[in-house]
Amino acid sequence: MTRILTLLPALFAAGLLWLLAAHALAGWNWPTLPFKAEAMTLDQIRLAFGLMPRGAIALVAGAMLGLSGAILQVVLRNPVADPTTLGIQSGAQLALVLGTVVAPGIMEHGRWPVAVSGAAAAALLVMAIGARRAFAPVTMVIAGMLVGMTASAIATAITLSQGEYLLSLVIWNGGSLVQQDWSGVRALTAVLAGGALAAGLLVRPLRVLSLGVEGARGLGLNVAAIRLLAVTVALVLAAAVSAEVGLIAFVGLAGPAVARVLGATGSGRLMVLSAVAGALLLSLSDGLVLAMAGLGAESFPTGALTGLIGGPLLIALLPRLRGATPPGEERAESGYRRARRPTALLAGLAFAILLAGAVLLVVGRVPGGWALLDRESFATFLPMRLPRLIGATAAGAALGMAGAILQRLTANPLASPEVLGVSGGAALGYALAVFLVAAPGMGTLAGGTMTGGMVALTVVASFARRRRMPPERILLAGIAVSALASAVLAAIMAVGDARSFLVLAWLSGSAAAVTPAGAAGLCAVVALVLAMAFSTRRWLGILPLGDGVAAGLGIPTGQARLALVAVSGIAVGGATILVGPLSFVGLMAPHMSRRMGLVSPLGHLAGAALIGGGLMLAADFGARMAGFPYELPLGLFASLIGAPWLIGLMMRRAR
Amino acid sequence: MSLFSLDRLTVDVPGRRLLDGLTLDVPKGRLVALIGHNGSGKSTLLRTLARQIAPSGGHVQLDGQELGAWSARDYARRLAFMPQTTPPADGMTVRELVALGRYPWHGALGRFGAQDGQAVDRALAECGVAALADRLVDTLSGGERQRAWLAMMVAQGAETLLLDEPISALDISHAVEVMSLVRKMCHRQDRSAVIVLHDVNMAARYCDHVIALRRGRIVMQGDPAELMRPDMLQRIYGLPMQVMTRPDGTPVAVPA
Repeated sequence: MTRILTLLPALFAAGLLWLLAAHALAGWNWPTLPFKAEAMTLDQIRLAFGLMPRGAIALVAGAMLGLSGAILQVVLRNPVADPTTLGIQSGAQLALVLGTVVAPGIMEHGRWPVAVSGAAAAALLVMAIGARRAFAPVTMVIAGMLVGMTASAIATAITLSQGEYLLSLVIWNGGSLVQQDWSGVRALTAVLAGGALAAGLLVRPLRVLSLGVEGARGLGLNVAAIRLLAVTVALVLAAAVSAEVGLIAFVGLAGPAVARVLGATGSGRLMVLSAVAGALLLSLSDGLVLAMAGLGAESFPTGALTGLIGGPLLIALLPRLRGATPPGEERAESGYRRARRPTALLAGLAFAILLAGAVLLVVGRVPGGWALLDRESFATFLPMRLPRLIGATAAGAALGMAGAILQRLTANPLASPEVLGVSGGAALGYALAVFLVAAPGMGTLAGGTMTGGMVALTVVASFARRRRMPPERILLAGIAVSALASAVLAAIMAVGDARSFLVLAWLSGSAAAVTPAGAAGLCAVVALVLAMAFSTRRWLGILPLGDGVAAGLGIPTGQARLALVAVSGIAVGGATILVGPLSFVGLMAPHMSRRMGLVSPLGHLAGAALIGGGLMLAADFGARMAGFPYELPLGLFASLIGAPWLIGLMMRRAR
Repeated sequence: MSLFSLDRLTVDVPGRRLLDGLTLDVPKGRLVALIGHNGSGKSTLLRTLARQIAPSGGHVQLDGQELGAWSARDYARRLAFMPQTTPPADGMTVRELVALGRYPWHGALGRFGAQDGQAVDRALAECGVAALADRLVDTLSGGERQRAWLAMMVAQGAETLLLDEPISALDISHAVEVMSLVRKMCHRQDRSAVIVLHDVNMAARYCDHVIALRRGRIVMQGDPAELMRPDMLQRIYGLPMQVMTRPDGTPVAVPA
């Protein structure tokens, strides 16, 4: 237990940072209890009703998240479960954004019911997916993070479509701990007390549950009821924090991790220590944010900082997922039919896309209905429409091919640029290019995104190689990289100048700005990727059989991986410039291609390219028409098609 | 003439020594069984020979040349390896799987020529899977699938086969079928094989030479007859064993 004493320096540091901020504000001239605003100076008021509740809420919210994470980890027997990785916080966030935009009346009754219902909806979805796989930890986290990513993508797009009126929401997304009075502290403390009581009552059943479902049932435990109760407690705790201070990522993951390092065994002690560690972590993070603000740096939300800690932490924790996936759980469906004439099928697909493109060129929406363009307006519109159609199709094709390559490389049907962190890395590269280069041209931006994508994938791949990890863990590493990228993006966004709005606009993707040169460049990328795929077709055929077989056949597996990583990075980087980081086209297209019976490596890739192009063409059309005369972001529209499909896929594949 | 010669071969993973200074010659042209208790290092040794694991110390030579000095492609032409669990071959037919064995010959870009086609046909015939050539690998029974993978190794044209527990997931009739096939492949075509086996009786019945490991060290190597003695089996498995003789004179070991 002496190891617990190592928490003391953290406590000391957090306290010191807070005192420094307090001192900077009001010197030693502290207000006396009870606080009466009439009798105080302005600085004293800011201290008593701003900084003090802020310090308190950091402790309380951190404890709640730590406790919530610990409960989830115990009940799901999953060392990487927490309100962030299971999508609960993003669900709450989306519900709040929707509530604010669609039905502001609801919010009058308080933010809490809205946040809890959003969190519950997300949790329900993730649990429904997990239940089909016996709550296999990896599946749960992948499902949770996909649901979370989708929810926050939609929330971002809604924020964007409301213009800057909702810029406060962006700040809120990052989780700001700024307080105006003590009401938030009081409310959260009440919830924490209730949650702690419930957790105390659940300790013993949870300890029995830690034997596993069969063992617990054998001892007469109502497993389903205990699971439901425990998850509900965790969910209310996390949703309350979301409602009060916004999205604070990964504290629920870090708290229990710290508690374990400190030697917490057994569910009871783990919960207590996790709450303590969570409280200290959030206080420390907030203290750092305060100190940086005090030093004159940009003020950014505390949640962004915890995200920066959480991504690497998740990666470090992955090897602890012992025996997480029962063999055969995450493998591809087999028994697909094979297309009898793949070439004819591919030709048909290509023809369909050309036809659709041609139709989209001449059909348009006018106020009150649809119309075919006459010759004159066709000539006017062609220079505007043709590049965007070609650009969207080429981006979809590049994403589709990258997805097919990644699925073959990792032998995992759920791999895709979005999931493996390639898109997140590309987004970071774009953002860095925007911020570091004075007036970035298209070439600089393209270079930034491609490099970002390749770096992200290299990190994931090298990590996976070094730790000798099974393919499904690679997905988790990729998701962790995505989470890290989005945390950095949230921090960048919160800076809130014109450049951040540029990045935000780009994040949800629009095809409106495609120039003829840009479209041609994307086509060149597609051609390049196709050529490289053709020359590596044999590798793509053998690598899905695993490293053992591939090395046995004399493939230089290291070089092959590196080459394919580079190809995917280029493809994703090129496409991401146009459609933003989230579209799920890279996941859907290879899957559909496979379902159509395109089995051979080249057929699979070509099919994925054609289907990806078609999907993006459809998404572009939808994005232009759905909100006519305004245009919705292309990436948003694509992910609105993709996310439900993906979730359905995960639900179904449990045979 | 030895196939592999090992000199103080050591393999470590963080915190544990899997193979501890093995010095030994693996004979050529024979069926060699690698046996031992769980965790004895037999699979580690096989995977080291297949260059799937790098040794932490010592030397291994194949045909008198250091393992590291072989190019990946030459090594694959010389030696074929089958992992313990064969991965799912999603949507692949038996013929396509077997054709992958030609990779070390045509490479990433080379043409799949007539010679390659003939090698695939011969391999399909030799392993008795020609009739299954157009079936999907994942729809085959365990024994058929194992034979399809053996056919891939044959197509690879390698003289040496390394098999990691090829029969551990098979029922007894399929196990006998696969072991008979491997034995035939070796003896008729002058190939060598090193096979990790769990079952002592299978090892004694089908193999020509036995190498037994215990905790990363060699306990015995030699003739199967030498293995089938109660004292030797006790040393290898740490368990009293009884050896009985069947009417035809072959020994059978059971736990005493």
